[in-house]
Amino acid sequence: MDRWQYVLVLAACLAITLPLEIFRPGVYRQAWRAVRAVLPVAAVFVLWDEVAIWAHIWTYNPDYITGVSIPFHMPIEEVLFFLVIPLCALLTYNAVNAILDRFTRR
Amino acid sequence: MTVLGYTIPAVLSVLIVCALEVTALRTGLFRRPAYWLSMLIVVGFQSVADGWLTKLSAPIVVYDNRQNLGVRFPFDIPVEDFLFGFALVTAVLLLWERQRERR
Repeated sequence: MDRWQYVLVLAACLAITLPLEIFRPGVYRQAWRAVRAVLPVAAVFVLWDEVAIWAHIWTYNPDYITGVSIPFHMPIEEVLFFLVIPLCALLTYNAVNAILDRFTRR
Repeated sequence: MTVLGYTIPAVLSVLIVCALEVTALRTGLFRRPAYWLSMLIVVGFQSVADGWLTKLSAPIVVYDNRQNLGVRFPFDIPVEDFLFGFALVTAVLLLWERQRERR
């Protein structure tokens, strides 16, 4: 079960932010816009991460990751991190915008 | 030997993202109160999630402390993580905002 820790942290982030999609115009409802915002940035950060892992600036505790990885020694969880965290941030921003708009329109 | 292989790129990433907005993207994101309020919320939740990932008692991510300042706050989070997070999230929000203008 411990091997799923990193995956569970990411799953919790997605679960907690999912209800924010009720605010308009939404993030999942603009999937293509989200893809074009997240993927270019994720690509750059994956490269940075690869270099950091190669240089041993940080490493991952094998006890808490699934062991599935992409070249070169990057845990799949870390790849997912760069998709999940930006999505959570977009959902937060979407919700804050919707709430602030509601106040300023009155 | 301390070489700050995390600190220096983390500071640079923030500078690069800010420079991108000022010189090229010009979305106006930094003038939106919703952006700064969102960042406050993000930092709050980051502290919880990242705190779990980096806790020294049972770390999921292990840092070479010669490569960062060794300042770990709050909990055991290397402060560089907040620069890393700022750059990551801000860059994504910039690309998100840029697509608003084009419509």
